Amino acid sequence: MTRDFRARQIWTIARLELRRVFFSKRSFWVYGLALFPVAIFVAAAIGMTYERRSYEAVNRVSPALINSVNEGESVEAVLERLGTPVRDREFRRRHRGEDDESEELLVIRNLRYWDGSRFAELRFRNGILEAKFIRQLISLERQRQAYNGVFHYYYLKLAIFFGCLGIFMNLFRGEMLDKTLHFWLLAPARREVLLGGKYLAGLLASSVIFGAGAALMFAAMVWPVDPLEARAFLAGPAAAQWARYAGAAMLACLGYGSAFLAAGLLVRNPIVPAVVLLMWESINGFLPAVLQKISVLHYVQSVCPMPAPMDDGAPALVRLFLAPAPGTAWPLAVLGLCALTAAVLFVAARAVKRLEINYGGD
Amino acid sequence: MSAPEIVFDEVSKFYGEVLGVNRVTLRIPPGITSLVGPNGSGKTTLMNLLTGLVHPDRGSITVRGFSPRDPERLMRITGYATQYDAAPRGATGFDFVCTSLLLWGYDSRAARTRAAEALERVGLTEAAGRKVAAYSKGMRQRVRLAQAIAHDPEVLVLDEPLNGLDPVVRAETIALFRDFAARGRHVVLSSHVLQEVDVISDQVILIANGMVVAEGRIRNVRDEIDERPSQFLIRCSGASRVASLLFGRDHVSEIKMVDGREGLLVMTRDREQFAAALNEIALAGHTIESVLPADENVDALYEYLIGGQR
Ligand SMILES: Nc1ncnc2c1ncn2[C@@H]1O[C@H](COP(=O)(O)OP(=O)(O)O)[C@@H](O)[C@H]1O
Ligand SMILES: [Mg+2]
Repeated sequence: MTRDFRARQIWTIARLELRRVFFSKRSFWVYGLALFPVAIFVAAAIGMTYERRSYEAVNRVSPALINSVNEGESVEAVLERLGTPVRDREFRRRHRGEDDESEELLVIRNLRYWDGSRFAELRFRNGILEAKFIRQLISLERQRQAYNGVFHYYYLKLAIFFGCLGIFMNLFRGEMLDKTLHFWLLAPARREVLLGGKYLAGLLASSVIFGAGAALMFAAMVWPVDPLEARAFLAGPAAAQWARYAGAAMLACLGYGSAFLAAGLLVRNPIVPAVVLLMWESINGFLPAVLQKISVLHYVQSVCPMPAPMDDGAPALVRLFLAPAPGTAWPLAVLGLCALTAAVLFVAARAVKRLEINYGGD
Repeated sequence: MSAPEIVFDEVSKFYGEVLGVNRVTLRIPPGITSLVGPNGSGKTTLMNLLTGLVHPDRGSITVRGFSPRDPERLMRITGYATQYDAAPRGATGFDFVCTSLLLWGYDSRAARTRAAEALERVGLTEAAGRKVAAYSKGMRQRVRLAQAIAHDPEVLVLDEPLNGLDPVVRAETIALFRDFAARGRHVVLSSHVLQEVDVISDQVILIANGMVVAEGRIRNVRDEIDERPSQFLIRCSGASRVASLLFGRDHVSEIKMVDGREGLLVMTRDREQFAAALNEIALAGHTIESVLPADENVDALYEYLIGGQR
C-alpha cells in the first residue's frame, strides 16, 4: 500500500470518472454555459463581417475624404464630394417653435460612409451637417474590452460557478441519487484516495471545458479584427493574455470545484450552498481584508490580465457591488488559492470518511 | 493474523430515529452463513456495516482482522454484491466487471482475463458483450455476483443473491458458494425465505427487528425450537369459554383469540399435558372442531422466532 499505489489508484479513479463526467446527461448544460459566449462572439463576428461586405459592395471612400467633411456643410456638397453613402436614413419630425405657435418641419438625415475600416456617421439637420461621428467597425481594443467584460461578469461569476456546481456537486451527491456510489466505496481504496480521484476528474473536466471555452472565445474575439492588427497582437501580447485568462478559468474551477465538492458531501440540498457561496463571493468586496482572502474570485481576478471593466456611469451601489477586490500579485494569488483549496479539501476529506450510503428507504 | 472470523461486538446502528440493528454480537466462522429475516429486519444493514458502507453508532466490527473503516485493506479481500446495480450507463457486463477490476490494481490485460473468468463462472459469457441495462433481473443478479468474485475475495457478501434466479442457475450459484466455502472462505448471504437457504448454509442467523433472535448451525437452531413452546390453532365454539378453561393450566403460556370468537391460538410448553387438557375440556361438553399444530414446518419455526419478537 505504497504512496505510488495510491497515486495510481487516484489516476484510475479519475480516468473512469472522467468518462462519466464528460458524457453524463447531468453535465450537458455545462457545455452550454461554456460555449454560449463563444457563440455570441462568433455571431457578432459574422455580423460584422457581413456588415463590412455590404459596405464594400456599395462604396468605399478614402480616409482623407472622410476627414475632410466639416460641420456646417450641406448634404448636397457632401454627396457630391463623397458619392453614394453606404447607408442613408431620413426622419421627418414636426417641431414646435419657441413661441409654441409656429410649427417647423424638421428633416434629419443620417449618411454613413465607409473607408475600409472605419465608418463615419454624418447627421444633417435640415440639410446642414450638424454632427459627425467616426468609429472603427471592428477594433481590437473594443473586442478586448468586450472579452474582458464577458470573462469577468459572465464566465467567472456565472458560467464557471454554476458549471462547477453541476460537475462537482454530482461527484458524490449525483451517485447517491443514482444509487451507484457503493461501486466506489467498495473499492479497495482509502476514502481520501477516492475523493482525490473524483476531484481530479472534476478538475480535469471543468478545466478542459472552461479552459477550452475561454480559448475559443478568445479566438472568436480576435477573428473579425483586421488581419494585420490581429497578427501583430497574436505575435505580441496575445499568448500571455490568453494564458492568463485560461489560467484564471482553471483556477476558478480549482477553487469553486473544491467548495462544491465539500458542499456536496456536507449538505443534501445543492441550492443552499450555491446561494450562500454566490452571496459570499458577491459581498466579498465589502469585507475586511482578512475575510476577502477566503474567496475564489478574489484570487482569480488577480490572475486576469485586466481588471473587471467598470462603466463610470454606473450607480455607486452597483459599482460597489461589482468592484473587483484590490488585486494581489498573481503568483501570490495562485498560492493563496491553492492554500484555500487545500483547506477546503481537508474539510471534504473529513466528511468523506464519515460518508455513508443512504439511498433512501425502499 | 488473528483467527479468520467476522466479529460483531455489541453493534448498533440507527438511521436517525429508525432502528437498523440493535446490539448485535456475532462471531462468524468461515463457511456459508445466511442472514435470514423478513424485509426491514436489518439484513442489508448488517452487510453494509460489515463492508463499511455504513458505520456503527456503537460497537465494533472486524472482518478477518480488518476494520471496515479501512477499505483499502478490507476490500482487497472482500467482495460485496449489493441489491443495487452499479454499472455505468451504457456499460456491457464485461466492461462493468473489467472496470471494477482496475480499481483492484489489475492492469488492463489481467483485468480482461479475470473479468472473462468471473463472467464464465456465473454463466454470463454469452451475454458479456451486451449492455447491463438490457439484462433481465436474474442476469443483473449474476453480473453483480461476477463483479464480487472477480478478484477472488476471501469474504464474499451477497445481499439476496438467489432472488430472481431460475432453478438451474440457482443450483449453479449455490455450487459456487459451496466451492468458496470449501476453500476456507466466508460466504455471507441474506434471504427472507428460510427454506431457500437452510440446507445450503453452515450457519443460519435469524434476525427480526434489528436483533439476532437465533444463530448457529441450522440443526441447532431447530433443536432450540424443539425446546421452545409449541403453538396450536384450536377451532371451537365458545372459544372464550375454552380459553378460560385453558388459562389456568401452567403448561399454557399464552392464548390469543383469532377470527373473532371461533378460534384460539394456544402456546404450550408441554404437548402431552396440553392434549390431556383438551380431552378434558371436550369431555366437559365443549365442541372442539379441530386442533392444528401451527408451527410444524420450518416456516412456522421462523414465524415463531420472528413473530415472537413483535
Ligand atoms: N438509509 C436508511 N434510512 C432510514 N432507514 C433505513 C435506511 N436503511 C434501512 N433503514 C431501516 O432500517 C431497517 C432495516 O433495514 P434493512 O437493513 O434494509 O433490512 P432488510 O435488508 O432486512 O430488509 C428498516 O426498518 C429500514 O426501514
Ligand atoms: Mg435488504
